[in-house]
Amino acid sequence: MDMFSNLALGFSVALTLKNIALCFAGCFVGTLIGVLPGVGPIATIAMLLPITFGLDPTGALIMLAGIYYGAQYGGSTTAILVNLPGEATSVVTTLDGHQMAKQGRAGVALGIAAIGSFFAGCVATLLIAALGLPLTRLAQLFGPAEYFSLMVMGLVFAVVLARGSILKAICMILLGLMLAQVGTDLETGQERMTLGLISLSDGIDFAVLAMGIFGFAEIIRNLENPETRDVVRGTIGRLLPGKEDFRQSYMPILRGTFIGSILGILPGNGAVLGPFAAYTMEKRLAKDPSRFGRGAIEGVAGPESANNAGAQTAFIPLLTLGIPPNAVMALMVGAMTIHGIIPGPQVMTRNPELFWGMVASMWVGNLMLVIINLPLVGIWVKLLKVPYRLMFPAILIFCCIGIYSINNSPSDVMFTAFFGLFGYIVLKLGFEPAPMLLGFVLGKLMEEKLRQSLILSRGDFMTFLDRPVSAVLLVIAVAMLVLALLPSIRKSRDEVFTE
Amino acid sequence: MANQDEQAGRAGSGIRAQQDFVAGLFLAVIALFAIWQASDMPLGTLRAMGPGMLPRAVAVMVGLGGVILMVSSFLEEGPALERFHWRGPLFILGGILLFALTIRTAGLIVAGPLSMIFGSLASDEFNWKEAAIFAVALTAICIVLFKFALGLPIPVIAFM
Repeated sequence: MDMFSNLALGFSVALTLKNIALCFAGCFVGTLIGVLPGVGPIATIAMLLPITFGLDPTGALIMLAGIYYGAQYGGSTTAILVNLPGEATSVVTTLDGHQMAKQGRAGVALGIAAIGSFFAGCVATLLIAALGLPLTRLAQLFGPAEYFSLMVMGLVFAVVLARGSILKAICMILLGLMLAQVGTDLETGQERMTLGLISLSDGIDFAVLAMGIFGFAEIIRNLENPETRDVVRGTIGRLLPGKEDFRQSYMPILRGTFIGSILGILPGNGAVLGPFAAYTMEKRLAKDPSRFGRGAIEGVAGPESANNAGAQTAFIPLLTLGIPPNAVMALMVGAMTIHGIIPGPQVMTRNPELFWGMVASMWVGNLMLVIINLPLVGIWVKLLKVPYRLMFPAILIFCCIGIYSINNSPSDVMFTAFFGLFGYIVLKLGFEPAPMLLGFVLGKLMEEKLRQSLILSRGDFMTFLDRPVSAVLLVIAVAMLVLALLPSIRKSRDEVFTE
Repeated sequence: MANQDEQAGRAGSGIRAQQDFVAGLFLAVIALFAIWQASDMPLGTLRAMGPGMLPRAVAVMVGLGGVILMVSSFLEEGPALERFHWRGPLFILGGILLFALTIRTAGLIVAGPLSMIFGSLASDEFNWKEAAIFAVALTAICIVLFKFALGLPIPVIAFM
C-alpha cells in the first residue's frame, strides 16, 4: 500500500528527537496561549508565528501543527473550566462540559475530551493519508476555471455557515476580496490602491489583518464587556474516565469523529458545523435527552471528537488544492509562505518528506495533547485565574513583537493597529469578521484564476458553465445560497447557531 | 434576540434597524473610496483584463451591498447601534502605535514597558504600581525569550 509507505516516511521524519521536541514545544505553548480566555486559535497562531522563524521548513511546520492543536484544545479547556468558549467550535462544549465541571467532574470532562480528540485525530490522520494522493491527482487536472468555481463554492459555504445576516456575510467576503487587491497587480505590475505607501506595494500581510481583527479588536471588545469569569472552584477530580463513562462515550466519539471528518473536508469552514451537528445528533439519539445541558458526558465526547476531526481534515483542501477552508487555515498558508512553501498539489510531489512529515506529526501532536494536558490541568486552572487587566497587556506585547518580527517592520505594527480599529468598528456594526478573512485569502488566487480562464476563453464567461466540473461546483454554490435564503431553512439555521 | 429587536425600533426617523443602516453607510463609503482610488487604473477588456477591472467591479458590489443594507434598514426591524467607547480603542491602539514608533529608535527595553503601561490604561481597574511592575517584568521575559532564546533580530537597546 502506497498510503502506509508514505505514512512510514512521514513518521521517520516526525519521530526524530528534534521534531518530537518541536512538536511538544508547539503543543505546550499553543495550549498555554490558547487557554487564555478571549484568545482564539487565530490570535494564538499569529502571536506564536515568530517563534518558528529560526527553524527549517519541516521543523517549523511541525511546530506550527503542534501550536494549532494546542490552541484548539486550549479553547476546549477554557470552555469546560470557565464556561467561556474560545471560538465558535467550542461553544457546544460549554453546555455540558461546564456543567460536568460544576459537579466536580471537570477532570473527567477534560479527560474524555482529550481521549475523544485523540481518537478523532488518529482517524483524521489516516483519512488525510488516504485522500491526500487521489485529491492531489484530481487537483492537477483542474484548470483555472475549475479552481475559480471551487473557490466561489468555498466562499458561498462560508457565507451560509457564518452566523447572522447572510447579506452582511456576503458584504464581508467582498470586503475581503477588495483588501486582497491592494498591492502590485500580478500581470501589469501596476500599483493598486496603495495610497502611495511603499509598505503597501506588496499588499497587506495576512498576519497583520488577522492580528488586527482577531487580536486587537477582540481585546478592545473584551474590555468593554467585562466578563463574568466563572472559574470552577474546588477540585478537578480524577482525570481518567471510569468504566461507565467509557461505555457511555465510545459511540458518541465514533459518531462525532465521522461527522466532524466529513464536514471538515468541505471548503468554506465546514468544520465549524461539526460540533453542533454532533451535539444535536447525540441529543436526538439519547434515551433521556433531558440529561443534556446538565452534564451529560456524551455532550462533551461527541462534539469534542467532531471538533478535532474537523480541525484536522480541514488540512485536506489546504494541502491538496491549496485552498484554505477557514481563517485558521488561511493563517497556516501565511505561515507556510513565510517558510517558502506555497501550499497546493505540488507540495506533496516536490517535498514528500515535508508533506508526510507534517501529516505524521499531526498524529504525534494529538498524542502530545493527551500527554501534556492531563497532567498540566492544574497549571491551566491557575492561568485562568489571572485577571484580564494583566492578561491583555501581555497579549498586546506578544502580538506587537510577533507582528514586528514577521518583516522587522514597524509600519506593519501600525497597520495592525489600523486593522484593530477597523475590526472594532466592524464588530460594532454587527458584522462577522471571519468571512472577510477567507475572502482576503482567496482573493489573489481567485483574481489570478479568473483572469487566466477569461484569457483562455477569449473573454467568454460561459467557460465556467461549459466545463462540466466547474458548472457542477457553481450549481452547488447557487443551490446552497438559495437554500440558505429560503425562510424555513433560515429559521432552522438560526436555531442551530443559537442553541 | 427577539425582544432586543422590538426595542430597537426608532420612532420618527423611519429607520428600523439602526445598526444595519450605519453598517450599510460604512460599506458605501468604503466602496466610494475604493472606486475613487481605482478610477485611474486601466480597465482593459474581458479578454485581457486590466488592473482596474476587478477592483472597480468588487467595489461596486460592496457599494451595492451597502445600499441594500441601508434600504432594508427602513423595512425590517433590527438591533439598535451599539455604543462606541473611546477608552479601549484609544489606549490599546495608542499603545500599539507607541510600540511601532519606539521599537526601532529606542528598542524593546523602552517600547515594551511604554506600550504595555499605556495600553493598561484601557482597563477600568488600572493601577499604576501593578501595571508598571508587570510591564517591566514581562519586558525582561520577552527580551530573554525572543532575543536570546529564539534569536529574533528585534532591537533591545537601540538608543545607545
